[in-house]
Amino acid sequence: MTAPPLANLINELTKLPGVGGKSAARLAYHILKRPTVEAEALAAAILDVKSKIFRCSICNNMTDVEPCALCSDPRRDPSLLCVVEEAFNIQTIEQTRDFKGQYHVLLGALSPLKGIGPQDIDVAGLVRRVQNSNVHEVIIATNPNVEGEATALYIAQQLKPLSVRTTRLAFGLPVGGDLEYADQVTMSKALEGRREI
Amino acid sequence: MILRHITTQNFRNLGDAETAFHPQTNILVGRNGQGKTNLLEAIYFLATTKSFRTSRIASLFRFGASNVFVSGALERADLEKNLSVGLGVPPPVGAPEARTTPGQRRVLMINGEKVTLAAYLNAMSVFAYSAARLEVIRGTPEERRRFLDRGAASVNAAYLEQFARYMRALKQRNALLADIAMNRQSAASLDAWDNELREAAAPVHRARAAYANDLGEAFAQIVKRHGYHIAALEMHYRPNALEDKRREEIRARMTLSGPQRDLVEFVLEGRPASEVLSGGEQKMIVLFLKFAKLELFRRRHDDAPLFLLDDIDAELDLEILHDLLTKLPVATQLFATSAKEAFLDALTTGPHRRLTFENGRVTAARDFA
Repeated sequence: MTAPPLANLINELTKLPGVGGKSAARLAYHILKRPTVEAEALAAAILDVKSKIFRCSICNNMTDVEPCALCSDPRRDPSLLCVVEEAFNIQTIEQTRDFKGQYHVLLGALSPLKGIGPQDIDVAGLVRRVQNSNVHEVIIATNPNVEGEATALYIAQQLKPLSVRTTRLAFGLPVGGDLEYADQVTMSKALEGRREI
Repeated sequence: MILRHITTQNFRNLGDAETAFHPQTNILVGRNGQGKTNLLEAIYFLATTKSFRTSRIASLFRFGASNVFVSGALERADLEKNLSVGLGVPPPVGAPEARTTPGQRRVLMINGEKVTLAAYLNAMSVFAYSAARLEVIRGTPEERRRFLDRGAASVNAAYLEQFARYMRALKQRNALLADIAMNRQSAASLDAWDNELREAAAPVHRARAAYANDLGEAFAQIVKRHGYHIAALEMHYRPNALEDKRREEIRARMTLSGPQRDLVEFVLEGRPASEVLSGGEQKMIVLFLKFAKLELFRRRHDDAPLFLLDDIDAELDLEILHDLLTKLPVATQLFATSAKEAFLDALTTGPHRRLTFENGRVTAARDFA
């Protein structure tokens, strides 16, 4: 029989993504073993993000300043706008250091099965932003699955009247891998998107 | 490819044991209910994670067991690999007809490492013929589509994913149609889903048409080669093209055209084969189709799949069966059951192993040269 406070912590931890009952118990016992200051620091950090982090009013990215560091950076090119599904997708693209434009975070992707329509991911907000700024190209970087594709197409349609260039990330082979390990769908997409050299 | 041995745990009435196989022909004998077909099913399950007898996976669990485990050693291109399928949490007894139960855990491993379903299915190929199953001829259109899909997947590794993508887009679009009908969503995003559905449908239609065409030809050749009296049987694939039926579809709350409505028909002189052919003739047709599928598989891959023949009975033309089997590539490993030993004589002209079943166990294994 687990003591109620411990059981409570385990239960809360299982609500985190990717954490099952066993992992939650291991984490809970670990926290119990460590000095109290560490537990306090963890608790404080959790409360801190909840009180200090909010969505940037321009791009929907998670930020503690308004507008966010990316939107207010004068070195970034405001004529290039990259649209992603989630705030954490920005990190992945930023790691490349190749993209110097600005971002727009949707609040997910279209998914009627989950009851998510255009208004739930604020496509109108994106269209307004493009309308009212000097954007020349919108790069749609939604996920390459059914929902991400439909979302990309919907956005492209909505942007059409604005005569702005709309592009989609390319599908292709992972660099550094061997051809033989590519899955078939990726392979045929890569064939479709082949280019002259 | 050759299945060297198989081990089952809690699989139907089979005792937990390892069974070793002959590289060419394995004859499973025993009275009804002793476990012959269960072992064939275990081989099929090892290769496909499914059953060829039932869509209710719960029935594979031995009564009261909470997990099922099947593993086997497969030799392919001179490499031996260990494959295993484990299922946990059986659906409750008397559960509704659900195909899978939420929360059911499936673990697929190759050489002790967890792999994805797609990677797992590529490792081992099996073809099963069961005289008791004539859905292809008699069953619902859905069963005939599934027959075509399994075949298309056997020669086109990308097909399963393409099909899954279409089904996903279809479900999303249907959900949106229902939302529009109930005024919970505007029709604004319907164009985007229409486009996604079209793009996902095209490869499915293409793959099905190509496979149906090849299968029809291979089938006609085989029937002709054996001089079977029903040579005029034709297989028609009728793709259902996507059409703009938006208003009706919103009312119906579902998509009314597309691959989910494709038809596959077997027709003899203008009439459905199921109405014209006798039971025995239908079994022969299914057998010819199975060999046509094998032929297409062989053209595509360098390797021969395992071939399971369940419940051979007197209604099959044993002379033709024997002839078909002798024309299989030599490397094809064969597993066959029959309750009547006489029917197995058609298969035992070459080297083989005879496995005798009693009470879910192999009680005797004898090799013949």
